[in-house]
Amino acid sequence: MIRWFVRGVTRRRLTTRYPRAEEPPPPGFRARALLDPARVDPRQAWRAAQVCLPKALTLDPEGHLRLDAGRCIGCGLCVDEIENGVLGIDSGYELASSSRRRLVAGDVQEADIAAEVLSRPFRRSLHIRHVDTGSDGAVEQEIAALLNPYYDMQRLGLFFTASPRHADVLLVTGPVTKPMEAPLRRTYEAMPEPRAVVAAGTDACSGGIWTEPEVLGGVDRVLPVDVYIPGDPPTPIALLHGLLLASGRVREAQPPIKQSAA
Amino acid sequence: MIAVEDRTVDAGSLATELERLGGRLMMLYATASACASVGPELCAFVHAHDEVIKLRASVRGNAYPAVTRFVPAAHWFEREIHDLHGITPQGHPRLEPLVRHAPDEGEVKLFGEGDVGPTHRGAERLAGPGVFVIPYGPVRSGVFESAQFLVQTGGEDVAYCAQRLFFKRRGAERRICDVPLELAVLVAERVSGTSSVAHALAFSHGVESLAHTEVPPRSQAIRRVLAELERLYNHLEATVRECEDASLSVAQAEFAALKERLHRLAASVAGNRYLRGAVLPGGTRIDLDAQTVDLIAATMSAWEREWQRVLAMLLRTDSFLDRLVSTGPLSEEDARDFACVGPVARASGIDLDTRRDLPYDGYQTFQVAHHSDGDAMARMEVRFQEVESAVELIREAVASLAPGPTRSEVGSFVQAEALGAAESARGETLYWLEADGSASLAQCKLRAASFMNFGAFNRVFDSQVLTDFSFIEHSLGLSPAGCDA
Repeated sequence: MIRWFVRGVTRRRLTTRYPRAEEPPPPGFRARALLDPARVDPRQAWRAAQVCLPKALTLDPEGHLRLDAGRCIGCGLCVDEIENGVLGIDSGYELASSSRRRLVAGDVQEADIAAEVLSRPFRRSLHIRHVDTGSDGAVEQEIAALLNPYYDMQRLGLFFTASPRHADVLLVTGPVTKPMEAPLRRTYEAMPEPRAVVAAGTDACSGGIWTEPEVLGGVDRVLPVDVYIPGDPPTPIALLHGLLLASGRVREAQPPIKQSAA
Repeated sequence: MIAVEDRTVDAGSLATELERLGGRLMMLYATASACASVGPELCAFVHAHDEVIKLRASVRGNAYPAVTRFVPAAHWFEREIHDLHGITPQGHPRLEPLVRHAPDEGEVKLFGEGDVGPTHRGAERLAGPGVFVIPYGPVRSGVFESAQFLVQTGGEDVAYCAQRLFFKRRGAERRICDVPLELAVLVAERVSGTSSVAHALAFSHGVESLAHTEVPPRSQAIRRVLAELERLYNHLEATVRECEDASLSVAQAEFAALKERLHRLAASVAGNRYLRGAVLPGGTRIDLDAQTVDLIAATMSAWEREWQRVLAMLLRTDSFLDRLVSTGPLSEEDARDFACVGPVARASGIDLDTRRDLPYDGYQTFQVAHHSDGDAMARMEVRFQEVESAVELIREAVASLAPGPTRSEVGSFVQAEALGAAESARGETLYWLEADGSASLAQCKLRAASFMNFGAFNRVFDSQVLTDFSFIEHSLGLSPAGCDA
């Protein structure tokens, strides 16, 4: 035991300074696709939409390409398909947003919505209850990673709690499968008000690649969602950003719009 | 490419034929027959005497004598067949819903008292004052995947434990057949998100077999690097969880930091912390340039030194060893009867490893981890051995990177069927694919390692106490997502 104690107190600090300092992922990291709506060629747009498994890239009848970051799994196949720079890959880490609309590029222009700090009933500390409604299992490990020395979320006043009765935030992972709908509702109903629901991961935001009949869709089909954290799976930093957004301590993410090269 | 010997038998003699063959049941499922007059067909895959044998049997009148009577490993497969196809395996000891949940999930009951197979001890039906059932899950205390465990106890000793899964069934098999073939690997990657590489590999091996495509040597080496990196972070996850259960905070933090370093390496190598989007049929989507190779080599050697140092400390910590030694024993007989796979089987004295038995992607001879104690400590020691061999395999694969393409064109195929396999960190992962010449697959049956190991979950609670539950669960290292698919 004494050996562990000595080792524990003699190790150097590993913990990130985020959100006070930047914490960029390595180059080449694929967080989500980006779209430059101004420069879309309809024929190419069709090809890119064809290779998008979760239907994040869709083409409306007028030929406008629409990119929904809440559905994007960051596979990058669309970027490989067309190479003239209309689409790009975002290696960002602040991806969470409080409205589903903000995650879409194509119908909303960036200028329409200013990045704002949400006014929230919670400030500072949050107690979090997690529910898995059909995830692939990786998001749970990324959430558990928030407790490792690199992220150490408790330094930000974020804690997991076993009982929904003590929770401020319901952190939901995975698309909602039919058998998990009732347990999800019961957990939410057991929480005291005020309460917030955070959908973690692309599956939870929109259902992702999964479809009916086994899966109902995103968490917002069942509960009102306050913060969406896209990502497949969302990285620990992206999760921290989303949780801090739920307590009104950081700004919202920008829509997945690619700046023109010009 | 796996040679599958096809045999047709009578549904009435399927059970005796499987028993006669011996070997290990890989999977059993039913499929709607193309010809309506024939009725559904049962397909059983057995690995016996270094051969993979597929037995087909047509079912008449929606019933057949249950295989489970002789081959306990079939118990979940037959319940699944009953749920999905309405076919009754007659004489199944416990034919309750498995993958289809009752509409009201609020009610909790311990399932019937029956148990599996004639050779197995039935669950003793305990009753009387002081005996109660703890319904643990599907929403559990802590950050866990959804699964339910009904634990019957008188207060401390576990009298019986029933595992209830399939809360997370997302219909992966259907989804794989829905989407165009070239996108289906993205679905396979997301069946069990922590075994993305293994699932992508098993699926890709199937497709490569369908099209008789050879994978170039360079991408075989890259695939081995990815697969072993994935094995490392999964084994680290099990170690972190066991340290957490033993309340060793410093050890937990040390191993969690080691795991985080592997995910950061994965992000640099493949652009995703769980190595998604790296493997695809015909080869790999990523290449390793000289800079990445150096990064892998440097990271792994520093990582290994650190790992050995912390592991040596852990193995000298009595409070850790005390909780794991003799906890959750799985007998070799049970492991064989329930056809367990992966580290769980290897820790109970069964010598199997897909990388050696159904070789793929240029895996050369390596030492298959082995232990015979069958307890939680044995399962962890098998993982520790595999961490050592994974580091060695990565080093060797990086050194053997031959120049050349990373992908070969997947040829066209009309009507074909093939089996793809890969060894995930949890064990053998299987994809059976059938193509009919259209743009997507006609049929897909996938079987994750956790499906087999979860089937044996209640066999490890013999004379165990409640406080050992989490040690036992985490030593098995199961993935509900993979099991439920």
